[in-house]
Amino acid sequence: MTPKEKLSRFETEISPHLGSAYNLARWLTRNHEDAEDVVQEAFLRAFSAFESFRGSDARPWLLAIIRNTSMTFMSRKRGAAQSTDFEEVARSASTPEADPETQLLASCSQEQIQDALAKLPSEFREAIVLRELEELSYKEIATVTGVPMGTVMSRISRAREGLRGLLTHRRKGAGNR
Amino acid sequence: MSCDQTRLYLHAYLDDELGVAEAVRFEAHLADCPDCQTAQSEALAIRAAIRGSDLYYRPSQALALRVNAAVRQAARPRSNGMQWMAIAAAVIVTIGLALFLTLRNRQPGGQELLARAVVDSHIRSLQANHLVDVPSSDHHTVKPWFQGRLDFSPPVPDLAAQGWPLEGGRLDYIDGKTVAAIVYERRKHQVNVFLWPAGQSPDEPVLQQTAQGYHVVHWTANGMTYWITSDLNPAELQQFAQLLRQAN
Repeated sequence: MTPKEKLSRFETEISPHLGSAYNLARWLTRNHEDAEDVVQEAFLRAFSAFESFRGSDARPWLLAIIRNTSMTFMSRKRGAAQSTDFEEVARSASTPEADPETQLLASCSQEQIQDALAKLPSEFREAIVLRELEELSYKEIATVTGVPMGTVMSRISRAREGLRGLLTHRRKGAGNR
Repeated sequence: MSCDQTRLYLHAYLDDELGVAEAVRFEAHLADCPDCQTAQSEALAIRAAIRGSDLYYRPSQALALRVNAAVRQAARPRSNGMQWMAIAAAVIVTIGLALFLTLRNRQPGGQELLARAVVDSHIRSLQANHLVDVPSSDHHTVKPWFQGRLDFSPPVPDLAAQGWPLEGGRLDYIDGKTVAAIVYERRKHQVNVFLWPAGQSPDEPVLQQTAQGYHVVHWTANGMTYWITSDLNPAELQQFAQLLRQAN
């Protein structure tokens, strides 16, 4: 592959996924400027590693690089507390309740859902972003995040339960006040 | 299937990710269990709530332009106006280097390029402040971190007692492959240790070279290729290389 071929293949196969790349970086860093820096750094990394890209599935390959770059970026800004209250919220959500909860969820606003997703610890947040926004299969998510399929399954399950807990809790709390 | 198991499989079932056999057992349990039916409708509700809102962040046009430009810059580092001069300079440097190598009877050019790549990665790791993916001075934390991220298991010896505390590890790309980068510290100087499987290559003795003013030490032993670089003085780097060889 000549340098010219490399650039043109990269621009055909990888560059079109800039949208997915930014979306994931934006959700993982929770900040617009950081996400842009992560995307640029990750694209340069992807370009220099492009010879090693053999597969046909460019998007998961790129997203894995985005994810690693974001993680590193975030570990530099470490101090972001891993919310233990999420665990409690997720657990309390598992008590099955009557149907009003379903209606409660249906009436959540976009902002409330956005806030709740931003509050999830990153491994659960990324599971939701990759599954619901990028619509990747569990297998592709396992490739991107580097964990076994079983872990992907339980993360998606716990992430959705956690979101449910955050959304219904807050609504109820607000109602009682 | 028990209720606990059903709850575990619930989301995978809704996502069509359950195997046929599990899906059948799941449905059989669900049909007779009102509690699990409630759980299912709630799971559907939260999934619908997520999917029904627009959570997708879209990049600006400016970012697309900026990233494109950066990639093109990386693909062709010289500007057009300077190209002829750069080619002329490259020819002169190449001839000079060839003569130098012949005279000194040194390793062939591949090693020089690799040394450069190693130094580039070292500089990038410091500049971008992207030194480690897993910051830890505990080799029992750093070594397992690489599992599942690499197709080999890099040795991570503990050299703190000898005056070389561990800072952490990260993944890096060298020569088109994903490699392990392990970072040690010496009086605030960072030492990057890059390693990857040597494949069929035979063992090579410790060889020292210089690239862009950085000292680089390289060897192959026990099926692993090592490249070490730092801005430390060559004597200390050699000492560190010996410690690492003994530890492995």
